[in-house]
Amino acid sequence: MQNFINISELLTALNREKELLSEMFGKRKSIDYKYSDAIELVDFDENRLEFLIQKEVIRENNELLELSDTYLEFFEQILGVNEEINAAYIDESIQKIKENIDYFLNENNPARKHAYLMVIKNTFRKIGKITYRSVIDLRRNVENTFKNEPNYKNKQLKLKNLDEKRALIKSLIHQTLVLTDNDERTFYNRASDSELKLIIVDLKIQLNECSHNLIEIERQIIDYLNQIDLQGAFLEKLRKIKYLKDHFTLEAETNIRQVLSQRNHVLFEKRIAEPLPLSLDFLRNDDTAFESIKRIAEKHKNRLKEQPVLADQISNESLENEVEEEIMVDFEAIKNYFIATSQDLFQFLMNYDFLTPMSFDDRVTIYCQMASQYEQDFEITEEFAVEDTIEYAIIYPK
Amino acid sequence: MTKYVADIFEILRRGQFICDNSPNQEMQTLYNIMEDKNTFEDLYDYFKQINYILEHGNGYFYFSRKEKNTDLDRKLNKAFEWIDWLDFLKSYDNTFDVGFRFTPADIASQLKNNADLKNKLENLKNIRGNKRSHDERIRKIIDKLEKENFIALEEEISETYKVLNSFHYLKDLVSIINISEEIDNEIPE
Repeated sequence: MQNFINISELLTALNREKELLSEMFGKRKSIDYKYSDAIELVDFDENRLEFLIQKEVIRENNELLELSDTYLEFFEQILGVNEEINAAYIDESIQKIKENIDYFLNENNPARKHAYLMVIKNTFRKIGKITYRSVIDLRRNVENTFKNEPNYKNKQLKLKNLDEKRALIKSLIHQTLVLTDNDERTFYNRASDSELKLIIVDLKIQLNECSHNLIEIERQIIDYLNQIDLQGAFLEKLRKIKYLKDHFTLEAETNIRQVLSQRNHVLFEKRIAEPLPLSLDFLRNDDTAFESIKRIAEKHKNRLKEQPVLADQISNESLENEVEEEIMVDFEAIKNYFIATSQDLFQFLMNYDFLTPMSFDDRVTIYCQMASQYEQDFEITEEFAVEDTIEYAIIYPK
Repeated sequence: MTKYVADIFEILRRGQFICDNSPNQEMQTLYNIMEDKNTFEDLYDYFKQINYILEHGNGYFYFSRKEKNTDLDRKLNKAFEWIDWLDFLKSYDNTFDVGFRFTPADIASQLKNNADLKNKLENLKNIRGNKRSHDERIRKIIDKLEKENFIALEEEISETYKVLNSFHYLKDLVSIINISEEIDNEIPE
């Protein structure tokens, strides 16, 4: 491992690889970062990656690359997105103050005394800031865990761990307050530094605020844990019941019949329409009722009109039996008679006795019908004769 | 006696709930009136005389009766249907609970990446049939939930529904069912 020689070298290196680093930082949780992905971001220059690995900015692990812990932590801290709440740091700081107070009290040289005092002041300031940050981080992490952690058991465990962290921070705040209020009175008397007093007052204000926040966080965690318990238990129960239902054993294996038979809630009932008759008095006396009646009557009238108009009775005459006579001409018989004669068809028909009076026109019609019907049996000549206004072909039997 | 007796009666006797968190202003008014201890007692006595028992749940009111008015089969059918609904809704989002807000489109989009949910939707009784599309099925189940007063339309334009306090009723029912111990251990994880 090689260290960076100075800040400017470090910053230059980081600046040169800012694309790669920001990409790796952004994806630190979502994907494993592959060597091949990284090489693209450094213009395919393996030396550049090698340099970062040598300086332990990133670490190589098989084919994968990751930001080294020191840098990851640094970036997270600076950007305020860290998930680790480092309470140990506060503890360390308290120890450091105690040690330095001892040194301060033992030291006689004013210049060195001053140096120790500086350390103490700085550390106090730091404690305030770090505690405050921790509380903010804690709150954010509690919310994130509750809202985003999909695994129920892990959600519960994580929240419990966060709760422990909360307790730790609380005890550290208490220790700090003991340190500023009760312990080391001699030191405060001897130091009598106005800036130190100011710092301590600020620190107390900050810690006070933190305590209030912690109380709220504690309430929140308890609430979340309870919700998870309830939710989890309910989901589990529902899953089981659904399982039994789908296997048609719900009725047999549970007390559902009993439970339901004890429940006479109206929502189980069918919704029945109630056909209530109207009060007659109301119909008689109320104006609005009268209006309604008129309206309905109107409709009713229309409905009558729509009914089909009845026809008159059928007269008896129409129902009586009637005989209708029709004259039938037996063409076949006429043909046979005709074949037996030697007359032409027209003359034959003109003289034929039909037993009923037949007009000239009727006879002409019969002539035409016979001619077309028995064409094969007759000999239709080319000769024509004229009778009345009609010119006709002379037809003989064959 | 409050002047809202008739309003209250009309809602409750249809088997509906009066919920504290209903988006409907009228319901909220009614709830607030009924929540007053004296009014509640008055109403309780009053309805008791006509064989309705006014019940106060966790943020909701409903009616029950002294005597059985429906057969057990009908109740069982209803309860089975509710279990299916609950199972479906909890699969959609396991935080689905009182106060939860959702739109039909939310459920539809969830269907795409949750095969289990899709399967459940397709197997829901009384919803399937007629080869309905998924959207229609979702709408159907939402309609049913709304009709039975467990959810209410909060915002018409975005079609946002809100889960009402009456949802506690369904959860209570599930909680109250006891599974016999032997079987409890046999159900696979």
